[in-house]
Order: sequence, then structure tokens, then C-alpha cells
Amino acid sequence: MKAITHRIVFAAFALLAAPAFAQDVSALLKAADRYRVGSENMQVETLISVFNPDGSPDKERRYTVFAQAKHQSLVLMQSPAERGQKVLMLGDDFWLLMPSSQRPLRITPMQKLLGDASTGDIATMSWAEDYTGTLAGEEPCGEPRQACLHLSLSAARKGVTYQRIELWIGKAKHEPIRADLYVQSDKLAKQALFVTDKPAAPTMVTEMLLQDQLTSKKETRVRYLARKEHSVPEAWLNPMFLARNPALE
Amino acid sequence: MMAARARTKAVTVFAVNVLGALVLFLGAGACRATGPEFGGQLRPVWNEQGANAHGPLAEAATLDPAIAPLPRSGATLETELRASGHGLSGTVTLQQQRLEGTEAHSKAWVNELYAAGGSGGWQFGVGKRIVAWDVGYGFRPNDVVQQEQRRTLLTSTPEGRPLLMAEYFDASTAWSFVIVNPGKPRAQRGAEEPAFAARVYQRDGALDWHGFARYGAHTGASLGTAAAWVANDALELHASLRYLNAADSTAIDPAATGLVRSNPWSDATVRHATQALIGGTWTGAEQVSLLAEAWWDGTALSDAQWNDWNQRNRQLAALAGTPAPRSAIAGNLAWQATAFGASSNLRRTSLFMRASVTLDKWQPALDILYTPADAGRTLTASLGWQGDRVRVDAGLRVYGGPGDAVLAQVPARRVAYIAGTWSF
Repeated sequence: MKAITHRIVFAAFALLAAPAFAQDVSALLKAADRYRVGSENMQVETLISVFNPDGSPDKERRYTVFAQAKHQSLVLMQSPAERGQKVLMLGDDFWLLMPSSQRPLRITPMQKLLGDASTGDIATMSWAEDYTGTLAGEEPCGEPRQACLHLSLSAARKGVTYQRIELWIGKAKHEPIRADLYVQSDKLAKQALFVTDKPAAPTMVTEMLLQDQLTSKKETRVRYLARKEHSVPEAWLNPMFLARNPALE
Repeated sequence: MMAARARTKAVTVFAVNVLGALVLFLGAGACRATGPEFGGQLRPVWNEQGANAHGPLAEAATLDPAIAPLPRSGATLETELRASGHGLSGTVTLQQQRLEGTEAHSKAWVNELYAAGGSGGWQFGVGKRIVAWDVGYGFRPNDVVQQEQRRTLLTSTPEGRPLLMAEYFDASTAWSFVIVNPGKPRAQRGAEEPAFAARVYQRDGALDWHGFARYGAHTGASLGTAAAWVANDALELHASLRYLNAADSTAIDPAATGLVRSNPWSDATVRHATQALIGGTWTGAEQVSLLAEAWWDGTALSDAQWNDWNQRNRQLAALAGTPAPRSAIAGNLAWQATAFGASSNLRRTSLFMRASVTLDKWQPALDILYTPADAGRTLTASLGWQGDRVRVDAGLRVYGGPGDAVLAQVPARRVAYIAGTWSF
């Protein structure tokens, strides 16, 4: 009887404490997000360099990303091989615009993953809005080793690229350090390392290194070349407007 | 003398192609900071065409080899140059082509040249422009302005239409109003016909809705609707429907029997026709994509018309063993090929399937177009490789089916190609 009472008290405590932990995790994610995005509405110039498993350079792509509030993003491809292509992401809805067709193509989340670099890697800037999670514990991580918080995150909506993320952030400043990214089948797809501007007193993430774990085993370096606050007009987030190839910069 | 002049002209255009590309490439770097944007691509293509040994054109060529040109293999160099800035946009293409057994010839055309601007949610445009509508891949019933040719071997920028355009956009709705081919004679046919067209678009979560209307100078009204729906993470479904009061076509003079002195095929009108398409795309986690579509085109020649066409082909071919002049028989057989251009689809019902996979820089694909009415088929296998600035495409398309199938009687039996595209 005493054991049962203890269990009930423990369960009640856990139930009462859960929202508090969840709130803590949400606050931690918001803090980690601030190192990647400074504001809700941003324009980010991104350079992606892909390296073969032997370290030799494979390809380079440049993107302009308009990351806006309410899970809205517009990615403009800037490299010669892709110039004029655009991907529009409005929550869980995606469109691809090819310069030769001038007609938006409605695409599925799976089609969004096709191509050189997942547009989800480039355009998804907010964990706090897209994931819920728990604090898995405290453990050392990073180079040099430091005290980290380990968060286990689950997708809060269906349109995100990764269904599960294991995230390690600095215990003191909550800057992102590394992440394991899992796709819907719960396979480990990529491992990410985050590089900050000043390791001792970080203010922003300047690079993300992605190690493919599924097929190519290639390494992708995502460099954030420039960031500025930029709210785009609502028409820019209409796929039919984008099909007109308007000047967007 | 003429040949030397043609060669000189060809060399000059080749030089313009290459120099144009270089100037634009250098200009792209120099001018990016000042506002206007420049870009383009240089594309050499080799096409190997195998003439069909079956069909009216092949029969005609057997009787009189000079009666009609058969498909020829050849090399093409295309330079596409793009510029935009200060509300103006333009794309031009310079082409130099040399087909086997002929002199090289060159031409250039403007794909797009237009001015565009806007105020508030309104956007206005005037000039020559590509305006592509509808949701299908193999066939687009509601592509009523551009009327782009579908299922080409290589993707290239189409030639736009002269038009005046006004559009209104908000976050989830778009209204488009277009006057296309203004100033052209009312009797112009097909995509050249002067017309007024309108489209409304509404985004509704995972569903895109479109409504279309067109009023052609001599074909009158048509109304259409289309939708694209993302059903789940892997599956997209789309459908399109259009009703036409009238459509331009081609038909044979019903009085034409045996040998006739002039082409019995002439312009005709199809009344009260319907076009419809349904399809879907499935994409798996392993980057495999499958596309399946089925469509009905009520403006294409009917089964009865194709049966009559086959019967007339046989009758004309049978005349070869009679005292009738061979050149007259050949001419009549060659005129039968006019039927291939009657509409954008040969048969009214078509099925299309395409499978492709992305393997890093490689993209192999296989597709089939099948016409159930006569079991005709077109098989296409292709392979693309995408580098940083260079893309290479190669493929083979083979037409076939039973002897009476229309697709088995088109002028080319197979087309192989290899192309390199250098983007700058």
C-alpha cells in the first residue's frame, strides 16, 4: 500500500512537473534559435559547399533565404546551374518554380528533399516553433569539451524535414553545438556541428557542418554569409506572383 | 558562290554565339553590383534521327524520294542570353544548325521582351512574354495563353506570346487578365489567335484551385478548372478540365477518294469539345519519383477519322502497282502526314508514366506514352548529369506499336540525342 502511494505521488509530481520542463525546453530552444536567427523575419545569404568522403570539393551552391514568421520561407537559387529556381515553403505546403516553365509546381515534402542540399537544411531556422522536446540530461560535448544540455526533440508539425532531433546546446549560453537529425523512418540522416563566431562568447552561428549518414557520406558546409532583418511583402509568398519572375532583391 | 556565302554566314553566327556568351559571362560579373542582371546558357546538341520505314511519309519516299523531306540527323548550337533590370526583361536565342546533307543555317529569335511594373497588389506587363498556366505534365488543357509544346526531349525556353497583362495578388489569391496576340488577324489559328484570357488562383492549404476562361477571336469561349493537392508526404494529385465551344483543327475533305490534285487536308473546326487530365506524382524516401497521367483531348482526330486515314493510306499504297503516276501517289501519301499536326495530341485518349531517380549528380529517367485506341507507344530513356556550371543530357526516344497505330507511323522511328549545357 505504501509503495502504491509512493508511485501515485511520484506520478502526480511528474505530471505537474512535465509542463514546467516543457516550458524550460521551449525557452532553451528559443535561446538556441537566437544564435541562428536574430529576428522573426530575416534575409540570409547562404553558401553551401559539398565535399566528397575523401575531402575533395564536390560542388558549391549559393542561396538567398527569406525566412519569415509563421513557418514561411522563400529560397532563391543563385548559382549558375540553378539560377532562377525558387522554392516556396508556407507551413507544410511547398512549391518549386523553374525559370524555364514560369509555372509553380506543387511539390510534396519528399520532393522538397531532392536535389543538392535539402532546402529544409537551408530554410529551417527555428526549432522552437517546429519541435517539442524533453531535456534528456546533462553531458559533455563539443571541441573543446564543455558542459552541455541534451534535448530530445520531436516534430510538432508534419512539414518539417526531420522528424526527430537530438540536440546538444551549451549549458551556460545555450548556443547550439551539435545535433543528430532523423528522418521519418527514424533513420539517422545527418549529423550537424555548429560553428559560432566567438567560441568563448558566441553571438551567432556562422557555419553548420552536415555529415550525411544515409547514402552519399558527403559533408556539407552551410555558411551564413550575411543576415539582415527583412519582412517581405505578402505577394512574395504567393506562388503565382513568383512565377512572374519579379525582381526580389 | 551561294555555298561559300552560306558558310561565311554560318561562321559569323557561330562567332556571334560564342562571343555573345563570353560578353554576357564577363558582363554578368561586372554588372551584378549595378542592378541589371545578365545570364544565359550555351548548348551544343547532336540529334540522331532514324526515319520510319513505315507510314505514309515512308511510303511516299519509297515511290519518290524527293517528294518530302524525311527526318535528318544534325548538330545544333544554341546560345540563350538573358537580361533584366529597371522593369525590363528579355531573352534571346541564337541558333546555328547543320543537318546532314544540307548547308548550315542560322536564325535568332526573341523568347521574351517585356516591360513590367506594379503598384499595390497590382502588376502590369506588356510585350512578348511566356505565360504558362495549368497543372499537368504531359498535357495541359488550360495552358490557354502560351500553349506550350509538351514532352519535348530537352527542356528549353519557349517563345513567348505578344500580350498585355494585368494581375492582382494577395497572400493566397491571384487574378490574371491577359490580351494575347493583340493586333493579329482574327483568322490566325491555334496559339496565334487573338484572345482574351483570365485565370483565378486560390490557395487553400494543401490544395491549389484554378479557374480559367478564354475568349478567342474566332473560336469563342472556353471555360476550365484545375486543382493540385498534396495528399501526404509522398503523393501529389492533380486534375484539369476544360470545355471549348470550338477549337482549330485539320480535317480531310470527305469527298476525297483515290488520287486528288491538291492536299485534301485543310483547316477545320471541332465544336463543343472537352479536354481533361488526371494524374499524380509519388516520391519515395530513396529519391525515386513516379508520375502517372491519363488524359482525354476531344480536339484530337476521332477514332473514326484515324480509321479512315489508315484506310486511305492503304488504298493509296495499293495504287503503286497500277499505271497511276508514282509521283502523284507519293504526293497524296505525303499529304496524309498533314494529319499528324491536327492537334497537340494524336489520339484522344493517352496514358503517360514516368519513373526517375536522383543519384547524386545523375538522374536517369524512363517514360512511356501509350494510346489505348491503337496500342501506339512512345518510349523515352534519358540520363542527365548536373555539374556546377555544366549539365549533360542524353537519351533515346522510340516510336512504335502495331502497324495501324498512329505513333508507329510518324516520320521518325527513333530519336537519339546528346546535349551539353553551359550556364553562365
